[in-house]
Amino acid sequence: MKKIKISSRLKSFSGLFVSILLLIQFISCEPIGKNRALIITGQNNHNWEKSSVLLKDILYISGIFKTDILISPAQGEDMSGFLPSFKKYNVIVLDYNGDSWPDQTKNNFVEYVKGGGGVVVYHAANNPFPDWKEFNEIIGLGGWGNRDESSGPYVYWENGEIIRNNSPGRGGDHGEQHAFLVVNRDKEHPVTKGLPESWMHARDELYGLLRGPATNLHVLATAYSDTATGGDGRHEPVLFTIGYGEGRIFHTVLGHAGGEDETPAMECAGFITTLQRGAEWAATGNVTLDLPDNLPNSASVVKWPDFRPLTLDELMVKASSYKVGKSRKYLADLTQRIRKDSNSPKMLLKYEEKMIELLNSEATSDSKNYLMKELSWMGSDKCIPVLKELKKNKNTEEMASYALERLSAD
Amino acid sequence: MDSKNKTNRRRFLRKAATAVFGVTVLPSIIPASALGKDGHVPPSDRIVMGAIGVGSMGTGNMINSLKKNEVRYVAVCDVDLKRSEKARLLVNQTYKNSDCRQYSDFREFLENEELDAVCIGLPDHWHAIISIAVANKGIDIYGEKPLARSIKECRAIVDAVEKNKIIWQTGSWQRSVAHFHYACELIRNGKLGEITYVEVGLPDGRESIGTPPVMPVPDGLDWDFWLGPAPARSYRGVCHWDWRWILDYSGGQLTDWAGHHVDIAHWGLGLDRSGPVEIEGKGVYPLEGIFNVPVEYDFTCKYENGLTMRVANRSRLPQGMGATWYGEKGWLNVDRSGLTAEYPEILNEKIGDGDIKLYKSIDHWQNFLDCVKSRKETITPAEIAHRSISVGLLGEIAMLTGQKLFWDLEKEMFTNSDYANRLLSWPYKKPWDLNV
Repeated sequence: MKKIKISSRLKSFSGLFVSILLLIQFISCEPIGKNRALIITGQNNHNWEKSSVLLKDILYISGIFKTDILISPAQGEDMSGFLPSFKKYNVIVLDYNGDSWPDQTKNNFVEYVKGGGGVVVYHAANNPFPDWKEFNEIIGLGGWGNRDESSGPYVYWENGEIIRNNSPGRGGDHGEQHAFLVVNRDKEHPVTKGLPESWMHARDELYGLLRGPATNLHVLATAYSDTATGGDGRHEPVLFTIGYGEGRIFHTVLGHAGGEDETPAMECAGFITTLQRGAEWAATGNVTLDLPDNLPNSASVVKWPDFRPLTLDELMVKASSYKVGKSRKYLADLTQRIRKDSNSPKMLLKYEEKMIELLNSEATSDSKNYLMKELSWMGSDKCIPVLKELKKNKNTEEMASYALERLSAD
Repeated sequence: MDSKNKTNRRRFLRKAATAVFGVTVLPSIIPASALGKDGHVPPSDRIVMGAIGVGSMGTGNMINSLKKNEVRYVAVCDVDLKRSEKARLLVNQTYKNSDCRQYSDFREFLENEELDAVCIGLPDHWHAIISIAVANKGIDIYGEKPLARSIKECRAIVDAVEKNKIIWQTGSWQRSVAHFHYACELIRNGKLGEITYVEVGLPDGRESIGTPPVMPVPDGLDWDFWLGPAPARSYRGVCHWDWRWILDYSGGQLTDWAGHHVDIAHWGLGLDRSGPVEIEGKGVYPLEGIFNVPVEYDFTCKYENGLTMRVANRSRLPQGMGATWYGEKGWLNVDRSGLTAEYPEILNEKIGDGDIKLYKSIDHWQNFLDCVKSRKETITPAEIAHRSISVGLLGEIAMLTGQKLFWDLEKEMFTNSDYANRLLSWPYKKPWDLNV
């Protein structure tokens, strides 16, 4: 093994992470890092230096992984010493697209998976090793590297079922990067259960025409690869599982990280959530992670720049600077949370308290007006005094009256 | 407001109607010849009409009735001068004169004109205020679906129509199309056996346009008047037509179309003066952009008789658009393209002498005009329009609150949620209220 590197980026965030970590520990009494994950990277046609660190961040934030990053020798260098200790880990996260591994490493990897190890195949990690039979059985589907009909069928979704198509042709393709709709095809699988049935994924490469043995392959989600964006016109699998021996593999083709500064595909709340849940499932066969707030839906992309949803307090701070005509994502997030918790009067009161705080603050009139509209149906007597106060201000008079009328307090 | 405001002309028309057509003649079978030789109607017998709201739908409605012999349009009203001007010219061209008068304020229009009937084609948030103002003048109304933006407004319209004994026709014109009528008669007569489940598929949502910048209000458009009772907003180019994607003015495709296919589903079941008692469902709301109506919606309604109705955007349903009844003999779908059935033999069924016959109209506008003369109820009176759109509005409230709701059909209140009850109306901006 060459080296294990703790990322500088991770260090810079460590203060924040430690506080979250402690919070999670405190709340759940769950030992942090009960699952051990190893991210294998070091060679990739993508920006592995960025992606591997972000993958680690994402697993870290879930609160249930202790993660190492293993960086391989650079491309063309001697790989003979590349001997990861797979068995120390519950899940291996593949962020690797490069030179062949030594035979011993290959054998160890196959034995690890066969024996019940977990694997996450991430984006271009389905590109390498077109001729390594067992690897292709483990990843299910792969692309590029001269893959063709000899690699296995194309697999896609058509008229409500999975098609395995053996017609000749190359394996692996994508059109231009764009945001696209991911549709969950299995709503009962532990990874996807409770998630939005379909959700807009932030700008990404949409892989298509992947080919592989596809044995024991189960599609969790597909995305339509539109010819208008250079795609192939098929509903391509984007999240799927593979069974190999006793091992569980979660394969996400999502999450492109290129040379540019921005990584929208990795900041996508849908990518993050499915990666965390997929990794837990691969590691343990189960998903214990709670469904997070602020997920995308079929109309809108949601990005988490900090790789997690905002806390309610953070959200209220963000919301307080809202101006009509600017992004309303924080307000929409709040509305979604209220709607989700609307059967709990206690939760509604909690939201109301936070909203009253904002109404009493120096927040923008536009944010106050939005909140008053929400309070008009879910508010209690508690918000009446501040509404009456805001009725005296010309910038908030109209919506204060609106809310007071609905609350029958005027 | 009261009878003294009604014109002499108007009272003459009503008296004449009773005398000529009597009370036993069905409105739909008045022969054209009864209107005068060669369809010529003496001016004194004509229905004097005006139009409030002459955009795409309002003008379309006006065109449908403009050339009817018994109708004479005399005035048009719109807050957009370009539109009222265009409508005025259309009327004048049709009648080859220059008599049509043009208004931007409906209050002036109602004050100055002596009308028998008015055709209303407005954004939903204006329906109730103006319909009630017209009704209180004793003027008959051809109005659009949805009846109004909120359930309380709908009820207020129904009350005003009944109190003033005016004739109301809703633009739920599918009722006057033969294949919809036939489908409903099949269902009503049990040709599909007992119906326990219904699906209603309505259009999918519209894509976001983001948030356009504030821009100058176009010449001739009175933007503040257009907003009227809705909250004050800067003009961002979203006005005509695209108001439908903003909750302050509309509930989106759901409330646009519930007045069509829920209406038909109810009609077939004989539930068109009733409604659901339990409502539960989910909507998908855009998280960005100026549009905020649900792009996807899917809710179920339970009726007192145990029947379940699922209402959703078409992509979510196996039969897509239209009303689909599921009975003992498979399913039957009706939409604008026709009828389809799980077992096509059903489509050969005849409605026999002993079968229930539903109200028959082959021309929705003619039905209205006939009823204006006969004083009979139209094929889609206000109460029915109210009950049809109530399904959409109840679903909207269930989705907005995220709650499972129980509905009291008599009191028209939720029995389990004060939160939801607050959404039965949309507060008006001053000075507007329902008694203009």
